[in-house]
Amino acid sequence: MRSAADPCSYVVLKNVSKTFLDGDQKVHAVRDACLVASPGELIVLLGPSGSGKTTLLTLIAGLLSPTSGSLSLFGQSLTSYSNGDLQSMRAKRIGFIFQNFLLIDSIPVVENVAMVLRFSGRGRSDALARARELLDQFGIGYLARKLPSALSQGEKQRVAVARAIANNPELIIADEPTASLETNQGFDIIRLLHDYARQERRCVIVATHDLRIADLADRVLRVVDGRVRVQCPQDQAKEVYPGRPVA
Amino acid sequence: MISYSAKILTGQPLRLAITVAGISLCIVLMLFLLAAYHGVADGSVDYIRKNRSDLWVLSSNAWNILRGSSILLTADAARIEGINGVKSVSSVLFLLTGIRKDGQQATVYLAGFDPEADLGGPPDIVQGRTVNGDDEIVLDRDFARKFNLSLGESVRVRDTLLEIVGISDGTNALVIQYAFVTLRRAQQLIGYPGMATCFLVTTEPGANIRAISEGIKKKVSGVEVYDHETFLKNNIRELQVGFLPFIYTVAAIGVVVLTAILSLLLSVNILERRKDFAVFKTLGSPRGFVSGMVISQSALISLAGCIAAITLYFPLVNFIERVTPEISTRTSIWQMSAVVAVVLAMSVVSSLISMQRLRGIYALEAFS
Ligand SMILES: Nc1ncnc2c1ncn2[C@@H]1O[C@H](COP(=O)(O)OP(=O)(O)O)[C@@H](O)[C@H]1O
Ligand SMILES: [Mg+2]
Repeated sequence: MRSAADPCSYVVLKNVSKTFLDGDQKVHAVRDACLVASPGELIVLLGPSGSGKTTLLTLIAGLLSPTSGSLSLFGQSLTSYSNGDLQSMRAKRIGFIFQNFLLIDSIPVVENVAMVLRFSGRGRSDALARARELLDQFGIGYLARKLPSALSQGEKQRVAVARAIANNPELIIADEPTASLETNQGFDIIRLLHDYARQERRCVIVATHDLRIADLADRVLRVVDGRVRVQCPQDQAKEVYPGRPVA
Repeated sequence: MISYSAKILTGQPLRLAITVAGISLCIVLMLFLLAAYHGVADGSVDYIRKNRSDLWVLSSNAWNILRGSSILLTADAARIEGINGVKSVSSVLFLLTGIRKDGQQATVYLAGFDPEADLGGPPDIVQGRTVNGDDEIVLDRDFARKFNLSLGESVRVRDTLLEIVGISDGTNALVIQYAFVTLRRAQQLIGYPGMATCFLVTTEPGANIRAISEGIKKKVSGVEVYDHETFLKNNIRELQVGFLPFIYTVAAIGVVVLTAILSLLLSVNILERRKDFAVFKTLGSPRGFVSGMVISQSALISLAGCIAAITLYFPLVNFIERVTPEISTRTSIWQMSAVVAVVLAMSVVSSLISMQRLRGIYALEAFS
């Protein structure tokens, strides 16, 4: 296992906790989490709903600040980033895949992909050209002018991946990317992301409650009640749901 | 960004159409008010503006001819003529009077002037000729159109039949229209042969206007003397006192309605796309991207509203003027630019109002 001091690590969490206030009640969404993520690997955060996976991902993306503990991204403490830095870092160095993909329905597929390229500072025509190239690469070039609402889930998934990797980001964060997919499609998206991590030496972190996709991960981290309990090899994944077969 | 905004807008064609229609109607309202005001303002004071006299003499309780009762005696005109530097003096008598024709009746602001002096008559004749004899009358164009009166016909004032010999322009003050007869006829109608409302004085070239004014006031007691510019200003001010508060109020309502419609649409468009905005924020949209989108939407709608309004405006004004001829409008590029400027300003205000909605949208919402 890599240590927190490894300069190659993209993400390092040390004893990170996040507590929300829900009325008068404190909700400990993440407790004392430790995590190191490095280039070339696909990590699955596996845990049931409400266990704190999404909170962890948003902490990693710098969208939330931790209540305690320290968090560094790309070798730099999160506290040293200004708001503007965080914004441009998300635009250039992090790719996002959301549950249900959240493509922008009012603009065509190609512009959905081009948008993140524009956010990272590319010119319009350059962004559109690169977006088309990516869609062709994913075998969905023919969908470029369609609106996302006209796409099947499987097609949306590919567009979402294309959007996430458009800027060739060092880190991809995917929250329940398989939730709306059939099993095979679920495997597809994880495979695409896995290929990306391997070939480009990038890091992908996937949060899921879907035990079946854990098989494809380089590492599976169990998230239970806000704790990242075990940095386990993939065959330990079954501990999360004792008694249920691994798909 | 603009193409994205355009797509958001055209994604809801009905909503867009209703908003643009609402906004363009507000713009038409403002344009129309301005044009009507200028029509009235010009119609009310063109008579004075185009008058060639250098000095106006009225009794000292009156400083304009629109609202005020000035009573002078024509005998005093002769005394003014003797003043050094005075070229001519001509009396004009104004009276509000009803005129009748075939059972119809209407009120005019009748000006009795001296045709020989050719001062104080109709500012512009668009048809026929000016009054020469005591049995003739010149009517305002819009008035004639409204009551379907044409050259050669006769109208009755009291028991006198007057033949319409001319039609004038620049003589419509909205609430009342000018008509012209000879001074003698006007005096006979009111029953006081020696009476006048004001004296129109022309001076010799290079004459000392101030000295002449003083001279007039010394010779005729209880009068005030105004030069052309001052008198014109007096009348315009008198008109504005009556109209501007009304115009401002209605225009302000138009502006408020426009801003409300626009802000409502922008806010709804933002709230409906909450998730989109959260996604933009998460994906690292640069500062100003989301607000720029609101501003560009607002600008697009306003622009569409302006174009629709201007397309709609002229046929509408045409129609209104045909149905109610006494409403005569004057539209200028200047007015249009002013209205467009107000609309653009309000479009910025609406963007700022609806941008408050953006603050409550967090990147995190993309994950919920
Ligand atoms: N903004 C918030 N305010 C209050 N409680 C929250 C908030 N976000 C998450 N939580 C709580 O934190 C816990 C973890 O949530 P989450 O990270 O979404 O879990 P998961 O993604 O594993 O389903 C849940 O109990 C959730 O109700
Ligand atoms: Mg979640």
